Amino acid sequence: MSLDILNQEPIRFLLSFGVVLFLVLNLAAIFTMAERKVSAYIHLRFGPNRVGPRGLLQPAADVFKLFTKENLAPSRADIWVFLAAPIAMFLPAALVWLVVPFAPNAVIADLNVAIVFFIAMTSIGALGLIMAGYGSRSSFSLLGALRGAAQMISYEVPLILSLLGVIMLSGSLSLVDVVNAQAGGFWHWYFLPQLPMFVVFYIAGLAEARRVPFDLPEGESEIVGGFMVEYSGMTWALIQAAEFASMGLISAITVTLFFGGWQPPFEFLDLGNFNWFWFGLKTSILVFTFQWVRWSLPRLRMDQLMDLGWKILVPASLIWLFVTAGAMLLLPSVF
Amino acid sequence: MLSEERRTEQVSLGSRASARLAGSDIRDEFGLETLDMNMGPQHPAMHGLLRLILELDGETVVRCDPVMGYLHRSKEKISENRMYPAVVPITDRIDYMNNIAMEYGYCLAVEKLLDVEITPRADAIRALMNEFGRIMSHIPSVGFLMLELGAFTPILYAFRERERIQSIFEAVTGARMMFHYIRIGGVKADLPEGMPEKMWEYIEGLESRFDNDFVDLIEGNEIFRARTRGVGKMTPEKALEMGLTGVPLRCTGVPFDVRKHYPYGWYKNLDFDVVTDAAGDVEGSYRCRIGEVRQSIRMIKQILENLPEGEVMADMGRRLRPREGDGIGRVESARGEYAVHVVSDGSDTPYRVHYRTPCTVNMQLLQEIVPGHYLPDIMPIMGLIDPVSGAWDK
Repeated sequence: MSLDILNQEPIRFLLSFGVVLFLVLNLAAIFTMAERKVSAYIHLRFGPNRVGPRGLLQPAADVFKLFTKENLAPSRADIWVFLAAPIAMFLPAALVWLVVPFAPNAVIADLNVAIVFFIAMTSIGALGLIMAGYGSRSSFSLLGALRGAAQMISYEVPLILSLLGVIMLSGSLSLVDVVNAQAGGFWHWYFLPQLPMFVVFYIAGLAEARRVPFDLPEGESEIVGGFMVEYSGMTWALIQAAEFASMGLISAITVTLFFGGWQPPFEFLDLGNFNWFWFGLKTSILVFTFQWVRWSLPRLRMDQLMDLGWKILVPASLIWLFVTAGAMLLLPSVF
Repeated sequence: MLSEERRTEQVSLGSRASARLAGSDIRDEFGLETLDMNMGPQHPAMHGLLRLILELDGETVVRCDPVMGYLHRSKEKISENRMYPAVVPITDRIDYMNNIAMEYGYCLAVEKLLDVEITPRADAIRALMNEFGRIMSHIPSVGFLMLELGAFTPILYAFRERERIQSIFEAVTGARMMFHYIRIGGVKADLPEGMPEKMWEYIEGLESRFDNDFVDLIEGNEIFRARTRGVGKMTPEKALEMGLTGVPLRCTGVPFDVRKHYPYGWYKNLDFDVVTDAAGDVEGSYRCRIGEVRQSIRMIKQILENLPEGEVMADMGRRLRPREGDGIGRVESARGEYAVHVVSDGSDTPYRVHYRTPCTVNMQLLQEIVPGHYLPDIMPIMGLIDPVSGAWDK
């Protein structure tokens, strides 16, 4: 009886949101650690190994350091915009986790328009970036924000187009339905029939998460951090958390759409309610590829980024969209 | 009334900004104006302390004014107040990526005034260490180019090689960076026991690693090509007109190398090619540097194969008093032609020392080449010049 109250809609939702926030913040910490260890592995060095066993408590030490730091704002900054920007960046990245199916029956909100929700939320992420760049009142931030806005709006188009193939095949906008439609071994996963779409989605996802080679808004070597050049302390940490959360998010959504979500690769490996293991494993592998790319490739230039988006990714996804539609029309028995 | 400082600022900012300060309208027909941006001196990609005053039209650079002098340490004046041998450690600190060539140039200039005969072994060791110095400078500069393009990993591989060469230098000279090894009349000490074998072993190892760690990792990368091909393009005429030397000149196809055209020391006996590239852009400069490292490896092998025996220091008095007159030492440093002009009045301190560092001259490139490029292209162009803060400010 006492637990029933937890199942009532507003309370359940608030609790779930608390769980998601906890998860996302911890994920950000874990991803920071992973990032440092992966980069160390690629650079042939050790990485953090002093705090705690094998350096595993390093993220805790980092967060503690960031908490004790002063939050500085430039004197000319538009202070409300400046302070609201990290929140505007973090919230959308955290909210989409609400619709991600982690395991059978383990999804917080099974929206019937979950994919639209995902698209809407990633678009809002660009707003936070513009706010950060504009609110800082610095030419470096402004350039970073303008680059970020142009990049995220351009890459939204291939991102959405590449989703359409999956939506057509599964016939649903709900992520749970998409996962269920991919049941029965890895040859049923959508990355096989939708390989070009998967590649486009992965590249556009890299751009949406602002990861190398598309980290132009940050542009470490020319605009030294871009939109976040003026941030420090916890506001900076929140932006970082948003970046890592959106990296994890793009991986999780890619896994859900193209790699069967929590579906095991073979039927006999079905773990029932513990299928979140497969979801976690696949997401971790994708996150690792993100980090691998990050520490191997140089950055693109703005015009080259636009060329890639509009001249290659958009036509490629459009062509494959027609191929998928044609195949579905001509061979209805297969689909 | 503007303060003196402010007025200097205004002059350096140029006419457009002073027009703005005077309150006149600088908008174009669409009501748009360009963005002034101050890059540096504290900026991670400025190779030290360089300040660029940029005028941006969107992402396109309209004007680029390099402002030097943030690392000025008055090397030339300090040199006037020290005795001749005591200037050598000062020269070490000019180009801190390629110190050994800086010592070499100064010693050559003073030796011309002293009319001293350098022993063959000293000459050979000088050339040997100089080529090691070149590798030690070229490999990180390729890494820095990648760092500026956004790839972080190659610089760490580059510094691994640099560290290994520094260990060789430590065994030979006693220091990892500020060597004070080449002295007037020879070198400080002979190579330690077993050192030539160790050097040979290292060079063989570098040769086997080199293609894997630097060429394959960088050259085959599509983004690297897209970012560097055609960026910073210049003609050989333009390069000669600006007085460029070193890799920025050779990458346009002009085969000028002091080691070849005005040979000094042991370089007369060495067989090597001047590496040129017709491209004249950042990618060409990268290929030049890679080629020069290969030539350096070749030269080191030649020197180690027949290293002459004998003394390493010429017999001079304890106190050096060169004859009156002036001596010029020209060497090919990793960044271009480095020349030292020493004027002697017959006393034991130089009357005047002038260091012609290649970085100062090559820096003109920024003003000439950068306008018209995108903002992120400044960084690879800096990588083409590969300047060192200590060397352009002295």
